[in-house]
Amino acid sequence: MYNKRPFEQYQINMGRMGGGMGGGGMGGACYTYPASPATPGLTTADVTFTRGVYMNGSMQMDDGRNVTIWGFTDGGGMGGGGMGGGRFPSAPIRVTEGQIVHTVFNNQGMMWLHTIHHHGIEPSPENDGVGHYSFDVDGTYTYQWRASHAGTYFYHCHTNTVLHAEMGMYGGLIIDPPEGPGTLFSGGPGYDVEAIWACDEIDSSWHNKSWDAGTCGGDAGLNSLNPDYFIISGVDGSQSALTDPRVAVTVQRGQSLLVRYICAGYLPQRIRFGGLTASVYMSDGRALPKPINVDSIEASSAERYDCIFRPTTSGIYEVTVDTLDWVTGAVLGTARTRITVV
Amino acid sequence: MKRRGFLKFGAAGIASALGSTAGLLSWIPRANAITVNKTYYITDGYITQPDGQDVYFNGFSDASNSLNVPGEPMIVQEGDTVNITIVNTLSRSHSFVIDGVVDSGPVNAGSTITFSFTVNQAGSYMYYDGLNAPYNRLLGLHGGLAVMPNGSSNELYAGSPIFKQQYFWLINDIDPVWHDQVRLGRTPQTTFKPYYFTINGLSMRVPGHADYANPDIDAGYDPRSRIEGKIGDRALIRTLHAGMCTHSMHWHANHVEWLTRNGNILPDIWEKDTILLPNNKGKLDVIYPFAPPPDAYPSVTTGKFPMHFHDEMTQTAGGGLYQFGVATTIAFK
Repeated sequence: MYNKRPFEQYQINMGRMGGGMGGGGMGGACYTYPASPATPGLTTADVTFTRGVYMNGSMQMDDGRNVTIWGFTDGGGMGGGGMGGGRFPSAPIRVTEGQIVHTVFNNQGMMWLHTIHHHGIEPSPENDGVGHYSFDVDGTYTYQWRASHAGTYFYHCHTNTVLHAEMGMYGGLIIDPPEGPGTLFSGGPGYDVEAIWACDEIDSSWHNKSWDAGTCGGDAGLNSLNPDYFIISGVDGSQSALTDPRVAVTVQRGQSLLVRYICAGYLPQRIRFGGLTASVYMSDGRALPKPINVDSIEASSAERYDCIFRPTTSGIYEVTVDTLDWVTGAVLGTARTRITVV
Repeated sequence: MKRRGFLKFGAAGIASALGSTAGLLSWIPRANAITVNKTYYITDGYITQPDGQDVYFNGFSDASNSLNVPGEPMIVQEGDTVNITIVNTLSRSHSFVIDGVVDSGPVNAGSTITFSFTVNQAGSYMYYDGLNAPYNRLLGLHGGLAVMPNGSSNELYAGSPIFKQQYFWLINDIDPVWHDQVRLGRTPQTTFKPYYFTINGLSMRVPGHADYANPDIDAGYDPRSRIEGKIGDRALIRTLHAGMCTHSMHWHANHVEWLTRNGNILPDIWEKDTILLPNNKGKLDVIYPFAPPPDAYPSVTTGKFPMHFHDEMTQTAGGGLYQFGVATTIAFK
């Protein structure tokens, strides 16, 4: 049987190593909990992913500006220069229901702290990746979990999350049913074509801060997001996403299209499907008791909706994703892409 | 001249008296409707925020010398008569409103009124000050009323999924500039810009902070907010949002069963890990099932996890201090 290390032991370490206002180490960051313990009950995984960190990426916007992006590398190395350091969004984690998964997180360098939280995955506290409930990884930690429910999830950093997730530290996480890709969940609908749209807003004024900005107090402006770019899966939604093959999708009449919509921003979003009707079968990795048919969805940060389209009329359907002011509901900006039916 | 008003109305005592799984709101159903009497004193004072700033608030308080933000929750049964007495200790008019149920009209400065109402539909209601809208509500004059189905101790509405314990989460977004303008009797002229985010009037503290684990200060240990249970101790969470910002609520370790939105019973119960919380008196009722975390390997039945908002600006205080925002702890015991 497995010998679980007492959770409280981490708490003791935290207080000694880094917690506390002005607590030392880590460049003066406060309320961080550096540790890289052994994984409780570590066993052989069915599938293993390795992730490192890059903090020197950039994304070129349609207006020519480059915005600094942080993310997770695939393979666990340090980020190199530019986007060579890693993809944005970070490489997806795709597993099959029932598998025991290892996400090996190498946070080398000791210059900063990060975690991986598999959002919507519900493991033990040690494997949940929330710094102040477990630890911020300062070396290598193996997150171990078992994929219990097919569906759409995503993973993101949960250290100084307000900044780190905004900087781009997220990637898709898909659990396929045992039938494999092509079926949304056991007993659920099939699909022929799949798109993953992680819709996000960027406030470029946030993208020049230190990893620990604000953690010791002081007004770092992190209560106020004023986005100036609106993106889909790392592609600028002002023009590029209309045609970029990473986002825009083409489907034949008679085929089924699955759009896995992830609200990866912070502000509310309203996605409209350009006149197509979406049959929503799942949300947040759980099948709905009855699918609903909609032509738009209003979503909040980190919700996911799995939408099946069975278009019968050829045409170009422009999908719009409005980011809404959290007080007034006014449209702050719109990302656009296309579903082309041939 | 500062008065620090933290809620001290004994929620922990109520819970412990009824056993470890009673939650905040305890309830024993009755065969007959009764008359419930409740007095609120409208008071003011300052509450210290996580970054040390003292912000002015008003409250529906238990006594003339306390400050309760939010007001103490009430729990009644369908058909009960509720007699409310409002003692306005302040120098401007205030009111007590439950949308669709009762509006006291202005209670003048320094005066006292008593009025009655009945609620015939089970559910979760916000009481608030409807005057000088939305400012008086934002300044802290709000609270929760739970109306239980007739003769039921474990349902939100007749025939709903059952629960074993229940909580109110009153949410607010705080712009200290607005609070100070209202204190001075002025109408705020600036765009609303929240700097603090609270659950039942408090923000989160974390290990290493002097107020960590102080139940009067740390939202993660406030027994009104922190949900605790063993496996199967299903918790009804009645969330009422007094603030101005649309939010996103995210629960760790379990999906919740989503029962209502803005008081409307949903046609199907969805299991969700994240739900949009509407602003300006928005409401959600969910049940946190306290099921074993489904993706743990090896499996676990104990542990502490967060509920936090995912529009992460809400996880800050004073523009920084990540982790000191609107969040609480889910404790599997």
